[in-house]
Amino acid sequence: MNLISAELLKLRTTSLWWIFAVSMVPLYGLALGYNWLTTSVITEMDVPDEGPFGLISMQQIVSNLYTSGQFAGVLLVLLLSAILVTNEFFHLTATATFLTTPRRELVILAKMAVAVLIAVTVWLFTTGLNLIFAPVALSSTNNESFLGESFVWQAISLNLLVHVLWALVGIGCGVLIRSQIGTTITLTVLYVVGTQIFTAVFAVLANQVDEVFMQLRVLVPTLASELLVSGPQSPEDLPRWVGAVVLLAYAGVAGVLGTLITKRRDIA
Amino acid sequence: MTMSRPNYAEISVERLTKHYAKVRAVDDLSFTVHAGRVTGFLGPNGAGKTTALRMILGLVTPTSGTATIGGVRYVDMPDPIRQVGAILEASSAHRGRSARNHLRIICRAAGLPDQRADEVLAMVGLNTVGTRKFKGYSLGMKQRLGIAAAMLGDPRVLILDEPTNGLDPEGIRWMRDLLRALAAEGRTVLVSSHLLGEMQQLADDVVIIAAGRLIRQGPVAEVLGSTAGVARVRVRTPQPDQLAAALRDAQLEVTATPDGLLQVSGADAARVGHLAFTAGVELHELTGESADLERAFLDLTAGKAGAR
Repeated sequence: MNLISAELLKLRTTSLWWIFAVSMVPLYGLALGYNWLTTSVITEMDVPDEGPFGLISMQQIVSNLYTSGQFAGVLLVLLLSAILVTNEFFHLTATATFLTTPRRELVILAKMAVAVLIAVTVWLFTTGLNLIFAPVALSSTNNESFLGESFVWQAISLNLLVHVLWALVGIGCGVLIRSQIGTTITLTVLYVVGTQIFTAVFAVLANQVDEVFMQLRVLVPTLASELLVSGPQSPEDLPRWVGAVVLLAYAGVAGVLGTLITKRRDIA
Repeated sequence: MTMSRPNYAEISVERLTKHYAKVRAVDDLSFTVHAGRVTGFLGPNGAGKTTALRMILGLVTPTSGTATIGGVRYVDMPDPIRQVGAILEASSAHRGRSARNHLRIICRAAGLPDQRADEVLAMVGLNTVGTRKFKGYSLGMKQRLGIAAAMLGDPRVLILDEPTNGLDPEGIRWMRDLLRALAAEGRTVLVSSHLLGEMQQLADDVVIIAAGRLIRQGPVAEVLGSTAGVARVRVRTPQPDQLAAALRDAQLEVTATPDGLLQVSGADAARVGHLAFTAGVELHELTGESADLERAFLDLTAGKAGAR
């Protein structure tokens, strides 16, 4: 608990957290606006609720509305988590940290705990706003709030899970890459455009080499995340839980490998 | 502030070795640092001082050998901050964080009360600037903050890597008085430096290394005695041959330099003056060269700095 308290104080005593918090507001606004607009357009088109495999179902629209801010929220959680680690090397505070706590794995565990707290906080922030604005958006487009539907609460819960898993991936990557700039750029690129790039790569591989590659694309973390959040989009897609397992595996492998390396690495 | 514990602790380095890809940064190094004394850790640049200190503190893993403090490896200490305080050259704080918060973070992690941060800030005279961000600190203030961090746990052992770097003369004097006072309280103080004159005033013992290996260890006076205990005298005379003969007759070692100077070892100025007077030789200059740590150090490490 001492270490978690120390890590929280580290986070609170630089300007980093509020820069992230401030940038979260407009990003959330954009996401909500986009989802609101989509809802109103789709409602006017009068798309029937045709289940999970339709072009775009009402269920999915409503889920998106109740998880507005997920894309930006997860990105910020991912980066902030990674920076919790890379900061120590960037600002040469690793020496003081590991002199105080020579059992380095405990430091990494404390950082993971703080990253999860950040993930929960961001999720609480966007979810709180979503529970206010999504019903407003739905009623403004002459829809009911869907708050009685279990799929809404499932989407909100999965949203939390995705935030937490990406926080752990962030810590793991921060430990592995260590360079502040390198980590930030790698993770941003992977997260923001990785999905498109890897979807294209796997589509080409599936087309040219073997159909099995289409199944393997779930190994890409962003695609695993998408599968977890949105569920299977076509009958041949894998079930949701596979996405969760893949993300958890990334977080676990990066975290364990990174911790082992951190334990052995010379701090000079 | 803690339960009973021995109030002294030795640092014991045994056959400590660190190999990097092609360099033996520290090579089979053994020495002991005693409590209640200031021990100077000396060596030319690149001698392996910092690597050795970082191995003692568990930041760098030795290739072989051990380093213990009070019989325990640093990494095995449950409360290292309360046992050992350290200032390392590269130790630093986050630029955007205040000094006080930097110290409070260490307090939290070590389970010390937050007010310890204010106590040590007052101790090093930074209490009025504790809320200022680290990036606004001068080098001297950073060194004081380093001391403050090292003293948080009221440790019985202090390990300092070049703590006087960047300090002005007043700061150096402050640091010297502080370290002497801490040693006088029975604490073990190990301090590395390349400022040899400084070390001669500060240290009780010295450990001299070069190219990662131990050259000499012992009390300052003893190390000086072993290398330069034989006094040297410089003499200028219009009759150098006559004087050299007289000095050699008295079993002294004499070296003549081309410009008419004689270097005499094995006697002090009074003896050389007396011998010259007895021999009827006129003297134009008679200078005793006192033994100092710097010359002892240069003699001991000569030719070894580049031999790696």
